[in-house]
Amino acid sequence: MADASGGAPPILSIIGLSKRFGDTTAIDDVSLEIPEGEFFTVVGPSGSGKSTLLRILAGLETPDTGRVELRGRDLVGVPANARPTCMVFQSLALFRHMTVGQNVEFSQKMRGVPPAARREQALEKLRLVRLPESYYDRRVTQCSGGEQQRVALARALASDPEILFFDEPLSAIDFRLRKILEVEMKELHRRTGKTFLYITHSLEEAMVMSDRIAIMRDGRLVQVGTPAAIYHRPASRFVAQFMGEVNIFTVDGGRIEELAADGKGLGDGYLVVRPENLRPTGDADVSFDARVENDFMLGSRTQFHLKVGETVVIAELPGTAAQGIAPGSTGRWGFDLGDAVALED
Amino acid sequence: MSTAWLLTVLALLYVPMLSVVLASFANTRYMRFPHEVWTLDAYRNALADYTTGVLHSTSFAIAATVVVLAVLIGTAGALAFARYDWRGRSLFQRCLLLPIFFPQPVLGLALLLALTAAGITPTWKTAAFAHLVWIVPIVTLVISIRLYDYDVRQEEAAYDLGASRWQVFREVTLRAIAPGIVSGGLFAFLLSWSNLPLSMFTTGADTTLPEWLFSRTATNYSPLVPAVAVIATLISAFVVAAAALAWLALRRR
Amino acid sequence: MLHGKRAGRVAALPVALLLLAGFAVPILLVVAYSLMPPRTFGLDGDPTFANYLAAFREGYWRPLAWSAGGALVTTLVCLLLAWPTAKVLSRRAGPLATTATILIALPIFISESVRLFGLSLFLMPGGGILAGTLDALFGVEIGTILNTRLAALLGYVYIHFPFVLFPLILGLSLVPREQVEAARDLGASGWQVFREIELPLAAPGVTIGALLCFVLSLGANAEMSILGGQAVTVVTRAIEQRFSYAQDWPLGAALTVLVIVVTAAVVLPLLKRIDLDGLIRQ
Repeated sequence: MADASGGAPPILSIIGLSKRFGDTTAIDDVSLEIPEGEFFTVVGPSGSGKSTLLRILAGLETPDTGRVELRGRDLVGVPANARPTCMVFQSLALFRHMTVGQNVEFSQKMRGVPPAARREQALEKLRLVRLPESYYDRRVTQCSGGEQQRVALARALASDPEILFFDEPLSAIDFRLRKILEVEMKELHRRTGKTFLYITHSLEEAMVMSDRIAIMRDGRLVQVGTPAAIYHRPASRFVAQFMGEVNIFTVDGGRIEELAADGKGLGDGYLVVRPENLRPTGDADVSFDARVENDFMLGSRTQFHLKVGETVVIAELPGTAAQGIAPGSTGRWGFDLGDAVALED
Repeated sequence: MSTAWLLTVLALLYVPMLSVVLASFANTRYMRFPHEVWTLDAYRNALADYTTGVLHSTSFAIAATVVVLAVLIGTAGALAFARYDWRGRSLFQRCLLLPIFFPQPVLGLALLLALTAAGITPTWKTAAFAHLVWIVPIVTLVISIRLYDYDVRQEEAAYDLGASRWQVFREVTLRAIAPGIVSGGLFAFLLSWSNLPLSMFTTGADTTLPEWLFSRTATNYSPLVPAVAVIATLISAFVVAAAALAWLALRRR
Repeated sequence: MLHGKRAGRVAALPVALLLLAGFAVPILLVVAYSLMPPRTFGLDGDPTFANYLAAFREGYWRPLAWSAGGALVTTLVCLLLAWPTAKVLSRRAGPLATTATILIALPIFISESVRLFGLSLFLMPGGGILAGTLDALFGVEIGTILNTRLAALLGYVYIHFPFVLFPLILGLSLVPREQVEAARDLGASGWQVFREIELPLAAPGVTIGALLCFVLSLGANAEMSILGGQAVTVVTRAIEQRFSYAQDWPLGAALTVLVIVVTAAVVLPLLKRIDLDGLIRQ
């Protein structure tokens, strides 16, 4: 796996990590290096092993084989409470029988820090996550969803971890608030300069926040790279599908099967074409006859479902270009091979 | 590690019961384990003995009375406890717990004093009443648990579909709590059948199985005692098995 | 069928009448008798505190103190034994845990007489199950703790263990696994997790278990007769003696009132704080 990413030395190295539960392999020989200060996100569907990976890193599970090194020190065998790492849980796992302040101070209390110093540090962390100091004495059960999110962040930061782990903390939050919190999370990362390791099932969420992304499938990392690299050069159909609506065609001996069109020098494999790269034109590298089945207004763009033989192809055009194309009309559509991604798998 | 702890706990809990079973196979007046002769004589005697027959029927009469009344009173009580929203509910819930959080022999003694003061001679019937005071709250709780995950709107739906109030109760409410009623009845039988501290003071001249066992452990020991203990316990086990079958039949319906 | 508020009152009526006749009235009668002149059998005497004074002067505080102390020790021992057991049972799923849970619950339904009798057969010297087996297998001869306070205490713990265990399992079900993991992740040691997370969150279960155990052992008398050989007179035994052999109802009633007062002092404040609806919904 290619991991070269700038000059910063890795803070976290994962080497040949594997974990099985009974007959299922949750983590299958995963290796990864994360440089200091990076916002790194692992994206995968549920059951891909991403949560298990995070739990191993946090010390809540033991791997079968492999090593986890923090600045060169092996962490395997070090219990969760002795690791300089901290996790923000999916459920947040806030202590409901405590106040906001007691939650934030928890790790310091465990270390025997005196109350006054704890309080001061807790208030500082509350400011850092933009919660008013008056929340210190509030019960966590009285906080809204977004506020609880911030308390969880403050609690994690207060333990002064070298790395913060995030286990899909935004997954249960509604769309609008999630968008706000995504931005806040990225800002917090910048302000604190800490290394963030985040997992999510939403590639979109990952794209917004991350410096680098790894795509996980069946316990393996199938692609690691910057958001741009993953967006423009997905390594497999699996990764391409993760990005939402894309057209994937089968190429057999240079011929694009579904479109019955010539692929001009393509080998066997697959071709990924984004909806926005399709145009109503015969003047393109690949073109084909299609009938417009449906149109959907998406704000500034319009999406068309095109019927080509038995296949439905999705195209998106900006508002101006979409004018005059109505359902039922037939015509020639096409795309350039430079905009498409050829894949072997 | 945790498995070993669990097995140790289970072993400690069952060693005394095993001891009773082992002791029942003796034929000597005084326990000398291991027995020289292992025999079922004690069981033959127990089954032939008139006294043990009377003990069983007394215990059974009490338990049967308790089951019927506790289920009737407890079902109504459970509806008041968990189904209906009414003003005294919170107080009712707390009062219901008081007999459970109360030393049973002390309840027995208080009842004995009250009965004597009222000029009522204690018999197995008064013992059944004493059992009810303790068992009805438990049965009420057991049935209530069923009512907590019960959607009241089902009743409204049935009413809306043309059922009368009584039909709604029979077809919807009662069916929903039926498993609770079966387990409540089972609890009632087992708790009454095995009760010692309440019976001890409220049976008067009648004697229940646990009472008899209690008095005979101190004096007049013979292998008959463990044999009767085993038989009494087997009857409980039989009732549990029968209830389990009834439960399965009910679920299939 | 009735609906709403009236239905609740009607449905509660049978239970209410039963508890009134079988619980409230007897207790009130006991209180009334405890205020009657010593060794009288009616309720028409002049109220007096003579019986309470006599109870202390004649040393009846001793059985009460013994019973209360015994109940306290039993509760503590049961809590210590039941906590790890409850943790194992609540954290583990699968057939072993289910079977173990059922097997631990079953003895509740087997008569105390049978179980205590079994324990005494096991502990009996000479030809007892334990002593006899050791002698036959290894030629080891051992004494016995039968007829001592220790044996009685063993009986207390043995009988009341399930009453502590099941409320503790219920209590532990109120502790989400993630909260424990979060605490560990934030640097809490095993002991700190117990003190800061598990114990406060499981508190309703711990309270109920401890209460049940204390109250039930406070009145228990069979353990002392079968295993303890009456090494100590427990309070229930003392009351019984006053009622029957001594024919002194007022003194017996006064002792009963004292036990009820201890029970109420322990049960009422704690019971008031517990959220019943929430707990049962679990």
